[in-house]
This record gives sequence, C-alpha cells and structure tokens, in this order.
Amino acid sequence: MAGSTVIVSTAGYSFLTISSDEQASRFLQQAQFAATDADIASVRNLGYARWLEAQMATAYTTGWDWLNIQGYGDVQSASNYYDSTAQADYMVWNQLMTAPDPLRKRVALALSEFFVVSLTGVSATWPSHIMASYWDTLCKHALGNYRDLLEAITLNVGMGYYLNTKGNLKESGSGSSARQPDENYAREVMQLFTVGLDMLNPDGTPQLDGSSHRIDTYGPGDVSNLARVFTGYDLDQSQNAPTTIAQTGGGTRVVPSTDFARLPLKQVGNNHSTLDATLLGNAGVTGPAGVTIAANTPAAAALKTALDTLFNHPNTAPFFCKQMIQRLVTSNPSPAYVQRVAAKFINNGANVRGDLAQVFSAILLDDEARDPAGLTAPEFGKLREPVVRLVQWVRTFGVTSTSGAWKIGDLSDPGSRLGQSPLRSPSVFNFFRPGYVPANTALTAGKVAPEFQLVNESSVGGYLNYMMGVIGNGVGNTASDIKATYASEVALATSPTAANPSALVQRLNLLLCAGQLSPATVSAITAAVGSMTSATADNKRNSVCAAVLLTMAGAQYLIQK
Amino acid sequence: MHAFDSQLPSRRAFLRRSGQLALTGTALPFVLNLAAIGEAAAFNAPAGDYKALVCVFMFGGNDYANTVIPYDDTSYNKYSTIRGGGAGQTAGGIALAKAALTPTLLAPTTAPLDVLNQPRQYALHPAMTGLAGLFNAGKAAVQLNVGPLVQPLTRTQYNGSRSVYPRPPQLFSHNDQQSIWQSSSPEGSKVGWGGNINDKVLTQSLNTNSLFTGISVSGNAVFLSGVSALQYQVSTGGAIKIRPATDASVYGSTAVPAALKALVSQAAGSQKLENEYNAVTRRALDAELLISNALQQTDPARGGTALATVFGTDSLSQQLKMVARLIKGRNVLGARRQVFFVSIGGFDLHDNLIAQHPAILGRVSDAMTQFYEATAEASMGVANQVTTFTASDFGRTLASNGDGSDHGWGSHHFVVGGAVKGKAFYGTPPPLNVTDGTGNPRVYTAEEQWHVGQGRLLPSTSVDQYAGTMAKWFGVDPVTELPGILPNIVNFGSEAGRADYPRDLGFML
Repeated sequence: MAGSTVIVSTAGYSFLTISSDEQASRFLQQAQFAATDADIASVRNLGYARWLEAQMATAYTTGWDWLNIQGYGDVQSASNYYDSTAQADYMVWNQLMTAPDPLRKRVALALSEFFVVSLTGVSATWPSHIMASYWDTLCKHALGNYRDLLEAITLNVGMGYYLNTKGNLKESGSGSSARQPDENYAREVMQLFTVGLDMLNPDGTPQLDGSSHRIDTYGPGDVSNLARVFTGYDLDQSQNAPTTIAQTGGGTRVVPSTDFARLPLKQVGNNHSTLDATLLGNAGVTGPAGVTIAANTPAAAALKTALDTLFNHPNTAPFFCKQMIQRLVTSNPSPAYVQRVAAKFINNGANVRGDLAQVFSAILLDDEARDPAGLTAPEFGKLREPVVRLVQWVRTFGVTSTSGAWKIGDLSDPGSRLGQSPLRSPSVFNFFRPGYVPANTALTAGKVAPEFQLVNESSVGGYLNYMMGVIGNGVGNTASDIKATYASEVALATSPTAANPSALVQRLNLLLCAGQLSPATVSAITAAVGSMTSATADNKRNSVCAAVLLTMAGAQYLIQK
Repeated sequence: MHAFDSQLPSRRAFLRRSGQLALTGTALPFVLNLAAIGEAAAFNAPAGDYKALVCVFMFGGNDYANTVIPYDDTSYNKYSTIRGGGAGQTAGGIALAKAALTPTLLAPTTAPLDVLNQPRQYALHPAMTGLAGLFNAGKAAVQLNVGPLVQPLTRTQYNGSRSVYPRPPQLFSHNDQQSIWQSSSPEGSKVGWGGNINDKVLTQSLNTNSLFTGISVSGNAVFLSGVSALQYQVSTGGAIKIRPATDASVYGSTAVPAALKALVSQAAGSQKLENEYNAVTRRALDAELLISNALQQTDPARGGTALATVFGTDSLSQQLKMVARLIKGRNVLGARRQVFFVSIGGFDLHDNLIAQHPAILGRVSDAMTQFYEATAEASMGVANQVTTFTASDFGRTLASNGDGSDHGWGSHHFVVGGAVKGKAFYGTPPPLNVTDGTGNPRVYTAEEQWHVGQGRLLPSTSVDQYAGTMAKWFGVDPVTELPGILPNIVNFGSEAGRADYPRDLGFML
C-alpha cells in the first residue's frame, strides 16, 4: 500500500526545537513504538513535522498480503487455516514489530482500541483473514479521513460478525410476535465510535444541566431507530470460488474462498428496514435537532445520512480526540489540549473535517505533549501498554525472526504472559476504559488511568516473569527464533574497562525511557550490573539482559511521560 | 506498607464515604455497597465466626427469559408467541421447547403470584440441572426481576421527568451497568459495595490481614474496592510469584533480584502514576507467601489434601475452586469476613442465543453447584457460612431480533447456600408482554406496566434491596450501617413508606 502525501503545519507550536537525543526519543516513543539510534538521528535531522510527513508517505505491506505470502491462504493445507486464529496473531505482531511505517501502525493500534473488533469474538470461516482485513482497514484510513474510516469499519466483515450487522434483519410482525432489528451495532457505534453517552463541550468536558447532571446524547429510541439503518447487510460472496475439502473422519466441507473477508458487507435479499428512522432526536435533550430518514429510503442513502449525522455531531471531535491523546501521550490531557486537537478535527485548515493526519500531528506536536514540564508534573503521562512494551523491546534492539515466521501467539494470560494481546480485547469495551480509575487511588479526584485496568497483583508479576524469559531467551513459539543479540549493548558492556555498566545503562535510559530514569535509578541499575562478571561472551550478554530487565521493570519506565 | 495498615477508624471511614456520596449524588447505590457490606458485617460478628459472600458476575447481560422460563401453559404460550416458538409448544425463533424444560422444572414450596394474581410456574434452562437440583433441595432461591433503581418506579414515571423520578444513569450500556450493579455508579466508579462491606470488616479489625478481605479471581472489579478496603487479585493458579525479584539468582547474578525487588517496590516519589503501579507490585510481593501458605492445605504436591469435589476445567469452575481453597485456608489469611468476585463472559448474545447460551449457562450452573458441594464437604463444613449470588450487566429484551435479544434492564438472579431460604422465589414474576400501551399520554395495562419497551423489564426489586438482604445476613446493621453502604436503600422499605419494596427481601435465614 502506498503512503499518503501530507503537509504538516507547525503554526502555533512552541516546542519544535530539538536540542537533545532525549527529546527526540520522547517524541518517538509517543509517535511510534521505539527510538533506535537511526530514528533519533532522523528526527533530529528532519525535525518533528518533516519526520511525520516522511512517515506518512512510507509505503507498507498489508496484513492480508503477509498472510498469503506465508501460505496461510492455502485452503488445502492440512492445518485448516480457514478455521484458525493463530495466523492473525502472527500477522499483527509482525506488522507491529517490523512494518517500515511504525507511526501508521502505532495509530492503527490506538484505533483498534477504539473501533474494537476482537479475534475472540469472530466465529467465522477464515477468521485470520477477516482480522487482517479489519487491521488493514484501520491502517489504510489511519492517516486518512475519519468519515471514510467510520464507513469502512461499519461495513467491515469483522465488525459485521463482531457487532452483528452481518445478517441483521428488518422488523417483522406486530404486537406480541413482533421481531425487532438487532441493536448491537447501532448502540455501540454511538456509545463507543462517535458521539458517546454524554453531551460534551468542545473541550471534551461533559455539559451539565441546571441540576448539575450530565446530559444524555441519545435515548433508547435513538438506538432502536438507528438499528433500522443497519439491517439487510450480509457477506458479499459474489467473488466466491469455493473448494470442497475432504474432512478428517469422513465427509466433505465446502469452504468459501477468502474474497468475502475483504469485501464490504452488502445488501443481500430484501431485508432492509422500510420504516423511517429518527436519529439523535429521541433523548429529549438539548443536542442538535434530530435527523429523520424517511420510510423506504434505500439502504445506501440511509447509511450515508446516518454516518454523516454521527460524523458531524459536535461530540464526535472531542470524544475521539481525547481518547487518541490518552492512547499516545497522557491519560489526563487538559481540556484546552483536547479542544486544540478537536479543532483540527473540525477543520484541518483547508475546511476539511475529520482529517486524521492533521489530528494525529496535532496530538504529537501540541505544547502539552512536547513541553518538558510534563517530565516533572506529578500526574502527566500514561502507563505503557504491555503490548507496546514488547514491541518496543523488539524494535529497540533490532530483534528479528530468524525463520521470518514471527510465530508469536496470544499473550493475553495475565499470570504468565503480558495480560494483553493485540486484536484480542475481551470485549468491544477494549482492554481498558478511558474513564477507568484505579481502586484506592492516590490520584487527584477526577483523574483517570485507563491502562491500570490491566494492573493487578497477578499481572504485575506475570509481566516481570514473562519479560525475564523474553529478554534472555527470546519470544514466540519457536525456541530462539526471535531472540535479541544486543550487539550494540554488548559492545558497551565490553568497552573500555572490564565492564562499563554506566554507559550501557545510560544508553538504555535514552532508548527505552527517553532519559526519564532518575539518577538514583540509573545508579541502582548500574551498581547491580556492575557487580556481574564479564569474563565471557555469555557473561557480557547476561549483563545486558540484566540491565534491560531492570530498566523495563521499574515504574519510571512503565509510566511514559 | 500503606496497603497493609489501611485500617482507618470506623468513624473516619464513614465520614469519608459520606463525603463521597454527597459528591456523587443520589445515583450511587449498588457497588458502593458490597464493599461496605464486608466492612460493616464484621462489626457484629461473634468470635470464631466466618462468613463469605461470593459474587458470580455474568458479563454481557444475561438473557433472563431463557434462563428462568415460564412453564405453566398460559405463561409459556405467551413466552413462545413473543419469542417465535413453534406450534404445539415446540422450539422456534429464540424460544425453547416446553418439553425440554420438564427435567429442570422448579418445585417451590409456594408458587409465586404474577401481577394478575395467577400462580406462575418456572423451569430453568435445560442446561441448568445443577442449580435446579439445588433449588429443589432448598439450597437455592431465585430473585425475580431485580435491577438498579434509585427509587421505586412505574413505567409512567419512567417516561416522566428524570429530576422528579430519578433513575440510574446510562441504562442499557454494558460498561456502565456493570459498574452500577457493582457500585451504584457508572464507569469511573472507584468504590464497590463489596469493598464497602469490607471497609466495615477492616474497621472492626476482624481480619488480621486487611488485604485478604476482598479477593477477585477475575480481573479488576470495582465491586470489591472500598474507600479503604482493597481488592486483592489472585489467579486460578494462586498468587503469582515474582521470580526476578525472588529467585536466588537472575541471569547468573545474585545482585539482580535484590536490585529488582528494590526498584519495583520503591516507596512513594512525586510521580503519582508511578506510585500507583509500585503500590500494586509491593502488595503482590508481600501477599504471595501468605496466599501460597493458605493454599498449601489443599495442595497434595505440598503435603495438603485436595478438595474432594471435582471442579470443571473451565475458567469459572477454576475461579470458584480457587475461592473454595482460599476459604479453606482462611485461618492462615486471618480472615473472618470475606467477599469474593468471580466472572464468566459471553452473555451479550445479540446473535446465536439458542446456539451459545446453553454452554455458558451450563457452566454457571455446574460451577456454582460444584462450589456449593465443596463448601458442604466434610473437610470444609462451611455451607451455611458461604452465600453465592449472581449478577450481570442487565437483563435483555423479551422480544426477539431474529436470533438473539438486545440490552434490557431487570433480570432474574440466583442466591445459593446453606443460609439461603431456598426452594422459593422472591419478588414478582414479570408479565410476558412487549406492547406499549395506548393513548397519549400513554396508558398502560397491568402487564405493560413492568417493562419499558420490547420486554426490557422495569425492575420490581432494586439491586440495593438484593444487596442489602445479603448485607444484613453478613452482619451489617440494617438501620445504622446499611444506608452508608447502599445509599439508595433509604428510598425503599417501610421506613420510606414503601413496604412493597422491603429492605429485607427475606431470602436469607
């Protein structure tokens, strides 16, 4: 896939000068997954805005193509790939860990936690191809337009399975035997993907009524009405070239070709609602006037009106933008920060609404993201997601899959793995909620810490135990296939004195933490590593492993500021 | 070690909680309150006494109408018509066949009367033979049509002004209703009623180690978080030992584990998010050995004796097995009042209700039955001291969307244990009705009164009453302490002029 040509405006930003490697590393860890020596040099050479433009223009390979290159589209394989989800895990880890355009992939990962479809909820033939199609859809539109993304996601086959638009039937019957359209997508597209539950101010704070109560954005009637718009859709099998496969134990099965998995859902049969539908007019509140889609409106026209209405609702910009800031920069952005980014969503400067390239640039270039004051503010930043930590480790140390297969599976188990695995959210409500507040928190009232929903007495240990193995022995299903050599770091561990832990730890502090480890922590790690022998090559590598583990274990690393 | 000496004086805890309630308004009732139940209960407990509450949360919103199914012909036929059943009481649409229900027919001591004063018969889903057996043996009860309410509400009032007739916020929304069931407050809630109960336990110093008052074998649950009470999370395999902090040597170095342990348990600095994270790690390090010792009693590999009850291999069964083992080891943990949280997902069946509901309901039934049997086995002997109950985001529509049902409100729930007055229904059987009245303003028949469209049940019993009944059994004083735990309870019961919504529903001995 080709990248996109974008001009990133720098007007109005105060912290564009890059005066240290640490500043470049900090930016890189927000904008993508990792900061290598080359990345840091590139950012310092180009500056933030030009670096963003170069990233956006970078071409990439789709997850779909990767699956097929690996042979996972082979319907005749004895591995029954058409029934297996493991290849989707390999696909998405490969994309996150190796793609040449990590900005786009980092944004797509954030979008996958907003427009959630989960491998654990797609019971279909070719589930891995379905998930690749979903992932590719996010990547394709990640730096495009939100309205296009919203429509593509709505008609995506994975979403169709996940939130039941596929096979959604119009109303029938009346009185006690009436059947109603499935409301699942209608409810969640409003609650989670566009307008949210509460009427918002332009800065993302909730509007309050005269009694200081929040104001509903929509009511149950809006859900029932909007549900009609999403009726009549099913798989597009027009390109199907099925294969009859003999089954183990006898019998045959007709397996469709993968084509349906990347075609948008389409109207099949006469199953689209014939009723009128009034959108966002049923809550009895002070929002924008409702929009009515007349009875017997064709499905495509009804969908356009419905998605336009949601896209143009005043909530959508701050609702979406705040969560994207939370994913990339800080759990508690100021209302002014939200409003500045939302303003870019509303108008990119050329009277275009929903320009995501400008939205994500605005998130990353904003003074609040770049101001060094965030480094010492007591509540700035966010917990790094476990998935991002592992990808960061791979990319920082140039780890590669010797076989090229990247067989890293489901890492969801909190007791023995990461407690999180990409595209495997437990529900459409994501791994964590944007409003999650830790129990018994010492945070200021009103502050949230979404990623802490994954943190408990099991997962903290599960992560450390897992990383101890990964850092030393590598990651994945095949022993030693995806294992770090730490060549640059081992070189530091051997230079000039017997061991030079100070230089090693300083390097890890720059690459992994953007220099955010305190001097005391650097000293503690240095002392521990310095006590290790470096007589043999194995000794030296062990020293590096110890330094990496100690760095990635501590809260000063885990909280990204 | 702030986690371990968070035993605030009760007066102060009460004041803090009251302050919170004042800030959050009237819509807070349920979750706040489990947490407080544990705290309050311990207060009145005689020496040597032990009680536990176990919440089984069904994530996704359970379909009530195919869980507790109307069985008498009149009611069944209405159910079948609405859900698209076949001719001659056969299966069809999302209706179950009547004949399939006979083995799980419930035989209450007294048949409940519906709103038309007709006796109602019910059967459980055919996959729920275990719970049907416990019900008929007097060890389980069904609470009908329970859900979050701020105050008693009619359908006409529901249509009216929310400032005059307040109702829970964000009805029909998964995450918010999960939170409201657990804490009476939508997403972002910090304190649950399990935790509130536990706050009370802490103030009484009933448990020698406050951390083990509220334990989740599922993920993080607001249910168990109190103002001072913590939720401790344990896996189905027990506490996770943090090897790089506790192994003798890591990467060949003895210095590394010592340094790592110091780093991950660093005391508070100025960065609050960092402190939040280290607080959890510190707790995990501190608790692991105690949990391990408590579990040793039921670990044959370490000289203990395994529970005789055979649990299933599914996650819910394993979670409840872990709860049973922790209860067995309660003396090691120094616990006399405990609230546990376990969960099972998959209930959001907008599609494939008929295909997928049986497996998950079967798991709930089997796991709760096995758990009851474990508490009753000779080595445990705590069946009368452990009460298990179900909860879920919400009920679903009675109407069909073709092959599933959509988000609703009130639902039916189970209470299991030796202290439950079983073989009985509590609450009122909801009508089997999906019509929406006539006229403008709407006038509703007696049957139309109890849903708010498509058979989304308007609860006739509030979660606060449900929780309050268990809280009282647990030892919470219903007059002096319960309003501090379940703030909306003050709108219910004869004390509020609503004897038809009693504070004690009567299902506990």
